Amino acid sequence: MTKYVHHEMKVAPTPEEAARQTFMSSMRMYVLLDMANGMRTVYDTEVAPKFERKNKRAPRDGTEVHRALKKDTFFKFYSSMRCNAQEMVFRSILPTVERSQDALNKKAKVLSRSKKAAGTIETDPSFVVPRSVAAIDVHRMPGNYDTEYGPDDVTQGAVYDNGISVFSMGFFGDNLDDIGSSISLFIKNKYPKFAPKRILDMGCTIGHNTVPWAKIYPKSEVHAVDVSAPAVRYGHARAQSDGVAVHFHQQNAEHTNFEDGSFDLIFSSMFLHEVPKKGIKKIFKEAHRLLKPGGLMLHMELPPNKMLGAYDSFYLDWDSYYNKEPFYKPFRDLDPEVVSENAGFAKNKFVQFIIPSVGQYGEKAVKDSVKKQTGKADDQTGRFAAGIHWYCFGAWK
Amino acid sequence: MTAAAEKKPLRYSVRGKNTQFFSGEGVDELVSITMALAQELWVVKERLAAFEAVATKKKVFTAKEIEGFKFTPAQRAKLDAESQAFIDRVFFVLRERVEGLAADPDEPPAPKEP
Repeated sequence: MTKYVHHEMKVAPTPEEAARQTFMSSMRMYVLLDMANGMRTVYDTEVAPKFERKNKRAPRDGTEVHRALKKDTFFKFYSSMRCNAQEMVFRSILPTVERSQDALNKKAKVLSRSKKAAGTIETDPSFVVPRSVAAIDVHRMPGNYDTEYGPDDVTQGAVYDNGISVFSMGFFGDNLDDIGSSISLFIKNKYPKFAPKRILDMGCTIGHNTVPWAKIYPKSEVHAVDVSAPAVRYGHARAQSDGVAVHFHQQNAEHTNFEDGSFDLIFSSMFLHEVPKKGIKKIFKEAHRLLKPGGLMLHMELPPNKMLGAYDSFYLDWDSYYNKEPFYKPFRDLDPEVVSENAGFAKNKFVQFIIPSVGQYGEKAVKDSVKKQTGKADDQTGRFAAGIHWYCFGAWK
Repeated sequence: MTAAAEKKPLRYSVRGKNTQFFSGEGVDELVSITMALAQELWVVKERLAAFEAVATKKKVFTAKEIEGFKFTPAQRAKLDAESQAFIDRVFFVLRERVEGLAADPDEPPAPKEP
């Protein structure tokens, strides 16, 4: 199996494939930790002083840092190697998935009918995948989320699941659900009287961060939507294998077919930065429409640029320029509080949290963080590094 | 036509344009090739580690034994650590640049090139 894919949809790499995958996790660790730290040293020691001598001031924002640093050879190696590492992650798992394609499609059908859990799957043959997804191999994933190689195909769900297993270097936890697990545990402790009956995960992909909500609120009815049919089919099989009931739908979070006021909690994780600004505004309005009064909208994301200094803004925005995530910087330039307010949420109902990873710090640290919120992001927030914290924001209706 | 013949192969390449980071011709491609070579070398090293582990354990080995060998968690942890050190060696030139920033620059200059 790929290191963090243990469920019944797991695949079996050959020893050589497993070694290529191990290498890619280590290579990414080298690029994102050693080289990233090296680039920061090059910036602080050479690039920033040169900029200050020339301009009589420090760089004002991430764009100025980027402009100054991009001429440096270290930046070029960091960027070139990071792009290569990203593609090689997926190429390291593709042969394994390709060999398992028929078996995975069969297994998904069996799991869909299994009595292990009462989840459901609904795809729409007439569904048109929006251009923002269909026209790009997001984060350099060949085939992206939506390519279908045949009827009822789950291939790209498997590519994503096994890809993030290698990509995440352990930071997404043993079941790749650290984001959902950390945040749901935090919310349960932060708001002990809040007991959502219906939960919706928007842009759920393979449901890896949906399942923790169903586990922590076992009496709730959990739904999850995504534009990718292979992802929701795979997600459904994955949740069934885990014995957790989730209702997956191929739908666009910008305009779902659920009734007004039909959810108590609407969640998303690592979703908004893959959506154009127009779509983000529609998603917030849709969340407002779907929530009952007293319901909570909550998005886990990368922290907005306004929370970060110039260098950290540059560092996170790198993906927007070079990693085929064109909407990443436009999203991070938005003010989440303003977008929430424009969608109908009251200004004083905005919330934001920085939550320690439960996998790295343990449950006690997550619970303790309820009373330790400072509202300030640091270079551990949203970055793959020892001591990772997850940022999330939202609003009560 | 059989179902197998109709089956579309998975796409391995990424669509769209890529940034050329280096101005020198072919340097971006050389980075890609070097990384792929490093990866393949790692595959060989990991394979050898499996051979050695089996040989130590059994005193004798067969290809089947090697193919079926699974590292223990301790062996796996050791290999993971070794792969980090391996990468550091291959890309040493980058670390050298960073460490050079902190080094004493009091070096006698080389003669001027002719």
